[in-house]
Amino acid sequence: MKYTLILFLAVFSIKLSAQQKQFPKDDNGKFIYYKVVDSQVLSKKILLERAVSFINDVQKKNLKQETLTDTSITAKGKLVIDKTILVAGHPSGEVSYNFVFEARDGKYRFWLTDFEFIPYKRDRYGNFVASTNIGTPLEKTVSKLSIGEWKDIQSSAYLKAIKFGEELKKYVATEKVNKKTAKAPETISTKKW
Amino acid sequence: MKKFLTAIFAMASTTCALAQETTTSPLEISGSVDTYFKYDFAKQPNITTSFASDHNSISLGMIDLVLKKKTGKASFVGELSFGPRGQTQSIPDAASGGSSFHIQNLYVNYEFTDQFSMTAGYMGTFIGYEVISPVGNFNYSTSYLFTNGPFQNAGIKATYKFSDKVSLMAGLFNDWNVYSATRGVSAVGGQLMVAPVEGWTAYLNVLSGAGGGGYGTIEDLTTSYQITEKFKLGLNAANYDVDNDGGGYSGVALYPQYAVADAVTLGLRGEYFKTKNIGGAGATKYTAVTFTANIKSGGLTFIPEIRMDHNGDKPFVKENLMAAPNAGQFSLAAVYAF
Repeated sequence: MKYTLILFLAVFSIKLSAQQKQFPKDDNGKFIYYKVVDSQVLSKKILLERAVSFINDVQKKNLKQETLTDTSITAKGKLVIDKTILVAGHPSGEVSYNFVFEARDGKYRFWLTDFEFIPYKRDRYGNFVASTNIGTPLEKTVSKLSIGEWKDIQSSAYLKAIKFGEELKKYVATEKVNKKTAKAPETISTKKW
Repeated sequence: MKKFLTAIFAMASTTCALAQETTTSPLEISGSVDTYFKYDFAKQPNITTSFASDHNSISLGMIDLVLKKKTGKASFVGELSFGPRGQTQSIPDAASGGSSFHIQNLYVNYEFTDQFSMTAGYMGTFIGYEVISPVGNFNYSTSYLFTNGPFQNAGIKATYKFSDKVSLMAGLFNDWNVYSATRGVSAVGGQLMVAPVEGWTAYLNVLSGAGGGGYGTIEDLTTSYQITEKFKLGLNAANYDVDNDGGGYSGVALYPQYAVADAVTLGLRGEYFKTKNIGGAGATKYTAVTFTANIKSGGLTFIPEIRMDHNGDKPFVKENLMAAPNAGQFSLAAVYAF
């Protein structure tokens, strides 16, 4: 009985948590992922340099820089949504978005918005490719026939946005190591023991 | 089947474990299942295009299983299908007797650079608008252009991507629809892809060499344009000449589609198709109109369809088996993609 109760609570918690995987909306009613980060010791210049590097080096396959000023950078990006079957799956679509990064001395903020979903279809060679060039706003209310799948896409995009945000924060907080002065990998000698 | 699934599971698990240490992408698994009911108005199979051939029967299409994996710059795709659509109704069957399986795709690819890649193996043909997999088509029945053209080509091809708007493919191929060449590596093919404006993609294709009915050359244009969020227009035009007055065909098909709701799209296929004389005789002309709806719910698509074909040479039959210039059919298909 005790185990049944624990199982019920676990399932209920998972269900509740699944319902919370949703973007908040901005003033215009659009989904947004918005973060303000206090970086204290880092100057505006360093913060922006690292954001530029993150866009153009780390995420260059998924982000394309649009504008750059001395305090901000904007880019267009995409999050690939996967459909999972057992332990494997395949991409089922992509969510495009606009990315904005603004820096001040000691802090920065960034947000992702204007999310639009483009479904993938399998082509004649077995590869998944975009089925259209016109995206559907992620906030859109869809018909009952598609609502389950649509909610999964929204949740998946939200989780991917969180992951993106965490990667960005980690990258901006980390000092870049010069490859030339990087420590050589440790070698193990079997001659002395 | 059990061993097959176990093998897939083991491969997928291994992939997950290795993925933590390498840049290998996860193993992709996808596929589809389809089934259909067709009722021919002449009460017997009458229209001879590929698939959906059984009259007044709830019949099987196929189960299609696709595996894909990419490791660094190298990748493979393996696609197998089981069931009438994927074996006896598409050539060749992997074992004789029509009771085995069909290989849809089995190739390896290597991306030398972001622009240049090479692919070798057995691939869905680059010719034409429609494909074997029901997931890749809007209509469930198929066109005369599809039925008479190549389904697949084994070969080696190189693709160079000049930009997102232009790419060029050239390759050497076996004769059509065979796992191993019967007349040697006997065909050359090429494809120019252009995307003049966003949403519009056009493929200009040529395949010359051994094929259906002998040595010949196909020129093919396949294009689609997503004009608005709701309206898409596709077009396929092709001409095939077999050497030494050996026949061939030409034709054009138009595919307008309009989304009337999130989950419902209506579409029309209008086709004109002409076979050519073989030894100076035998040419004939078809016109066909197919009205199709796609109703989607998750991975499932229902495809109700009405089709009317006409040929003045009366290749069809009436209910009393008398020759007729017209044929019609209704079908309802269910296709699940995963």
